Amino acid sequence: MAQILPNFSSSVKLKYVKLGYQYLVNHILTFLLIPIMLGILLEILRLGPEEILLLWNSLHFDLVQVLCSWFLVVFIATVYFMSKPRSIYLVDYSCYKPPVTCRVPFSTFMEHSRLILKDNPKSVDFQMRILERSGLGEETCLPPAIHYIPPTPTMEAARGEAEVVIFSAIDSLMEKTGIRPKDIDILIVNCSLFSPTPSLSAMVVNKYKLRSNIKSFNLSGMGCSAGLISIDLARDLLQVHPNSYALVISTEIITPNYYKGSERAMLLPNCLFRMGGAAILLSNKRRDSARAKYKLVHVVRTHKGADDKAYRCVYEQEDPEGKVGINLSKDLMVIAGEALKSNITTIGPLVLPASEQLLFLFTLIGRKMFNPKWKPYIPDFKQAFEHFCIHAGGRAVIDELQKNLQLSSEHVEASRMTLHRFGNTSSSSLWYELSYIEAKGRMKKGDRVWQIAFGSGFKCNSAVWKCNRTIKTPTDGPWQDCIDRYPVHIPEIVKL
Amino acid sequence: MEPVMVVMCAICLLFFLYQLYKLSEERRNQCCYLVHYECHKPSDDRKLNTKFCGDIIARNKNLGRQEYKFLLRAIVSSGIGEETYGPRNIIECRENSPTLEDGILEMDEVLIDTLDKLFRKTGVSPQDIDVLVVNVSSFASVPSLTSRIINRYKMRDDVKSFNLSGMGCSGSLISLSLVQNILKSYKNAFAVVVASESIGPNWYSGNDKSMMLTNCLFRSGGCSFLLTNKRAFRTRAKLRLKCLVRTHLGASDEAHTCCMQKEDDQGRFGFYLGKNLPKTATLAFIKNITGIAPKVLPLKELIRYIVMKYLGKTATLNLKAGIDHFCLHPGGQAVIEEIRKNLGLSEKDVEPSRMTLHRFGNTSSSSLWYVLGYMEAKKRLKKGDNVWMISFGSGFKCNSCVWEVLRDLEDGNVWGDMIDQYPPKTTANPYMEQYGWVNQETFEPSAAV
Repeated sequence: MAQILPNFSSSVKLKYVKLGYQYLVNHILTFLLIPIMLGILLEILRLGPEEILLLWNSLHFDLVQVLCSWFLVVFIATVYFMSKPRSIYLVDYSCYKPPVTCRVPFSTFMEHSRLILKDNPKSVDFQMRILERSGLGEETCLPPAIHYIPPTPTMEAARGEAEVVIFSAIDSLMEKTGIRPKDIDILIVNCSLFSPTPSLSAMVVNKYKLRSNIKSFNLSGMGCSAGLISIDLARDLLQVHPNSYALVISTEIITPNYYKGSERAMLLPNCLFRMGGAAILLSNKRRDSARAKYKLVHVVRTHKGADDKAYRCVYEQEDPEGKVGINLSKDLMVIAGEALKSNITTIGPLVLPASEQLLFLFTLIGRKMFNPKWKPYIPDFKQAFEHFCIHAGGRAVIDELQKNLQLSSEHVEASRMTLHRFGNTSSSSLWYELSYIEAKGRMKKGDRVWQIAFGSGFKCNSAVWKCNRTIKTPTDGPWQDCIDRYPVHIPEIVKL
Repeated sequence: MEPVMVVMCAICLLFFLYQLYKLSEERRNQCCYLVHYECHKPSDDRKLNTKFCGDIIARNKNLGRQEYKFLLRAIVSSGIGEETYGPRNIIECRENSPTLEDGILEMDEVLIDTLDKLFRKTGVSPQDIDVLVVNVSSFASVPSLTSRIINRYKMRDDVKSFNLSGMGCSGSLISLSLVQNILKSYKNAFAVVVASESIGPNWYSGNDKSMMLTNCLFRSGGCSFLLTNKRAFRTRAKLRLKCLVRTHLGASDEAHTCCMQKEDDQGRFGFYLGKNLPKTATLAFIKNITGIAPKVLPLKELIRYIVMKYLGKTATLNLKAGIDHFCLHPGGQAVIEEIRKNLGLSEKDVEPSRMTLHRFGNTSSSSLWYVLGYMEAKKRLKKGDNVWMISFGSGFKCNSCVWEVLRDLEDGNVWGDMIDQYPPKTTANPYMEQYGWVNQETFEPSAAV
């Protein structure tokens, strides 16, 4: 993506012109109304008080007329409020913090790698190089079954991991919100690569004895962007069912999907994916508008599957030895950039202030009519959002998005630090990032957050939240014991 | 001031009436219409008959004589006929080593066949689709099957896709519930639902009796259907969804564990069906009926039932007062018989389910649509009739819905020309004499879903 209007951008004076322009356009209504109000005030003063009294007395206030008008006003107000879409509130959310015993520091990972892949030193080298440049830290966690040499991914172990992650997250969420299991009306679980029968949603219903008329859905195979797909589904369901709670669980179960072969492109997920999960409570009840943390503003989904290259860039397949793993293609970043552009084109008009949209429009018209050589205007998303939660897919993804959206390092700090502390926890990483921002005390009432996630297929989904109340630094949560150590500087290459 | 006041009142009134009109339009647009459904009929080289099944069992070195007898008994008395279809890797004798390709190819055959036909027959282009739901219980791939469909048919990039899995045999009604909810919030939308099951990669090669039954009973099949809430399609649509009730008994541990995927003692992967499955199914069924009966039965019948119960007399709910056709999930002979007895239905009522079980076997979540196809091919669906679909699923769920038939239906669909051969004079297994010796010892039939 190119630079903005290169000829003038170096000038300092232009910065103030731009600021003034933004202020003018964004507050245009105020600027128009003030002269009108002044005019009316002057007119009233000119008329004098006696004239006004005369005007007032000349109005005939018939009882019937007054009642009718009042009746109409009330009706129109009711109709207006009934036809507005319901507000969806995020009451609270909770992220799973794996125990210390599951930690995989670099030394452990490399030792395991050397023992398991002892016949393929090149693959071991490859894994080491990936780990050095990955941006992961020493405190990321893998489930117990993967700590065995060789790993023992049985179905029991996978169910065990699912139970630990999901139930811990839900227990902590119920404690924070005070909600009872019988109150939950909608349950959505998303886990991409593990879909046992009965489903994980049935497992949750069983453990917490949820009601028998619960609307439960179990999404799978939708990749790292599944968390936002679940939020989208919850929103659609909450529009139809008034006065309900929706519990959304986003997780990725690593146990059954550890690649046991030696094909290099398929060893990459082993190095990046880590254990994690999040439970989110959404509500459309009016009384939660006071205690909810966030309000959902928009969810935009973009699917680039129609393009063959995009479809094949994250693909599960068998390697020559018949072992199953996920193959990440080399042009993943390019495709991600394209998908992001599509998503931004849809979300831009919904969230950008009028000033940015006008500039974009003018540049577009200018390019079409006057000079096609004008560089396209990249809207400044920092005007629309205070915080950014970019899915911690890998260092390259965060770098690419930082460059494309022209974000500062403080904006992507949450994503980088989540990648460092927790690794790529797939669909739940967005919630760890949000938790980081809250733990740092940066979330204030009215702040807008943009969550972006990519997924296989190729999808780019984004959600916009607005902070409902200033959030005090939480005393619990996954960052509670280490937030003071962050942010850390993550070197380009960590020498192993 | 009078005329000004009148004009203002008139404007307010008009605005108010316009808003009311918009709201009522929205209410009317919330109906969910089934435009068309297409069931998959696999190619003839995938047919499985009893002899073939017998050979497959004989090939399995892990099975002793007892297990061999048990399996043959199950196959012979299952009510499944000689023309059901199996996945390719089993037909090609590779049941113990399915590759990822096999699983995907099995799904591809269903998707391509049904979706091509669906789009062709309805005249709706894939680019018009707004919602896509795929439901395959035991298959999860990266990228998901929804992405596979979006890629093949070049759908729009703002299509809402959902890939459900792990929901068992009631998956198609759950997908229907999802679409029904979404169609209430979005105007003029089209939704496609694909329901199927992946049999090939889930073959059980061990010798635990409670896990071997699924090998015998499940067969290949699938279905796609197109739903919309556009008023303009009211004349073209086949059915209108009246109500849908979901019941989840997962809160009870017994219900939750009665059918689950797990590893046996030797670490082999399979699908366990517990002995309390029929009891759980009955409980779930009763709970579901109490939910759906008030929505679908006429007031007279409900009052009669309540009065009889109040007077202490035994009363059975006469479902035929409000429902004309019964689409029962063909989970197995015992399931159909159980439901028939409990509801007091006649043989003719359960004939579609029995015949589907005989011709196509238990194709999991898509089997309801084969049953519906039978009724339609037999020209039994007339305008104004109510059709009740009921299915069970692991977890334990019981879901049911009621459709209203919008016009006289007579499409031959997947049953085609062979519909005239049904019902056959006898559905007894032709290999009864050959394998009849297995019936000499008593055993308790296990109802499978």
